[in-house]
Amino acid sequence: MAINLVIGRIVAELALPVYLDTLGTMLVAILAGWRGGLLVGSISQLLAGMLSGYQWIAFMPIQWLIALLAGGAAQGKGFAGAWRSGAWGALCGLLCGACSAAISYLLFRGVTAGGVTAVGALLRSLGASLPVAVTAASISTDLLDKTAAFVLVGFLLRALPRRILGRFPLAARAVDR
Amino acid sequence: MTTSFAGRVHPFTAGTVTLVLIFLGVLAPAPSGPPLLYAAVCLLAIVTGVGRAVLHALVVVVPLWVLLFIMHGILGEAPYLTAPWGGTLSVAGMAWGVEQGSRLAAIVTASLAFARAFDPHRFLQAAIARKWPFSAAFLIVATLDAMSRFGQQATRLREAQRTRGLKVRGSLATRARAIPALVFPLLLASLTEADERALALETRGLTATGPRTAIDPPADHLLERVVRWMAVTALLAIIIWRVRA
Repeated sequence: MAINLVIGRIVAELALPVYLDTLGTMLVAILAGWRGGLLVGSISQLLAGMLSGYQWIAFMPIQWLIALLAGGAAQGKGFAGAWRSGAWGALCGLLCGACSAAISYLLFRGVTAGGVTAVGALLRSLGASLPVAVTAASISTDLLDKTAAFVLVGFLLRALPRRILGRFPLAARAVDR
Repeated sequence: MTTSFAGRVHPFTAGTVTLVLIFLGVLAPAPSGPPLLYAAVCLLAIVTGVGRAVLHALVVVVPLWVLLFIMHGILGEAPYLTAPWGGTLSVAGMAWGVEQGSRLAAIVTASLAFARAFDPHRFLQAAIARKWPFSAAFLIVATLDAMSRFGQQATRLREAQRTRGLKVRGSLATRARAIPALVFPLLLASLTEADERALALETRGLTATGPRTAIDPPADHLLERVVRWMAVTALLAIIIWRVRA
């Protein structure tokens, strides 16, 4: 949970168009199963709300979706190679982006985090309607973010010593060892 | 932290009032409700000794106000009115911007004021005294503890990597290349630490079942319980009123 919040902050300081604030949720879902991921995602979203406002709790289903997909990817040996991680990440990005777009449009009319809203505003200025701009902005940023997150976690899992992997059967399965 | 009035009250009182304010942030009827609520939340934060949260919240909220202004005021739908600088502004977009901006400001200010008053260890004692599930309460407290530790570790790591030649500024590609060097060591350290802490906590009986004793539970006065019940009742009344309206 703390990893979600701290890494989110590190990446925000680098001013990159990604968030990587769900690495902790993914990691726990891979190490301990999707139920652990759901718990971590929920609590980290609650604590993130305490630090930046509880309005973002509306995005909690995204954390749940990530936990389920990361758990599913681990079961399906989805972290055995960089391309497989990337493919699972892209799938996660598409689904999370679609879900995020719905929440963002219905509850916030597209004004949420800085990066994604800036992309949405750019698309609006180019003539796109609000729903189209919000959907395109959410899906494009989530696609980039989740693909990067899955690839990073895949590299990390494959770099883990066998001694540690041996204690987490699901993680060992995720990297096909 | 506990010297302010908000920090001295029972953690459940602060939590209940915050929760009610957040719900009011969603439910307050436009156009005058959200700005009035934001003003009330600011006043409450100042009166209860957590006024710095109002300034801290502005840091979070001002970028959102700017984005609301651009997205709905400037790029909003017709009809338009003439802006003082000669351009046009969407009438409906500006109204929505003020409404949503006030709602978000009220919610962010209430959240940050609560965070400023929140003492994890008092909360844990209160949860034990109330016989709440210990593991859930402990998870929240442990995460807050870990966050400050990992935050410091991240800062040290960043400085250490910079002395080894890592660039954290520059082009997009340069900054993106810095991610693995900053993130991997932190993730590996967290895995190792989680392992060691789990063992240490287990040997100290954290996973033991059965009733626990709160050594120093915060006082829960009758007046505070009345405040909590009144806050929840008022919220329910507002929900019913809004649903009927």
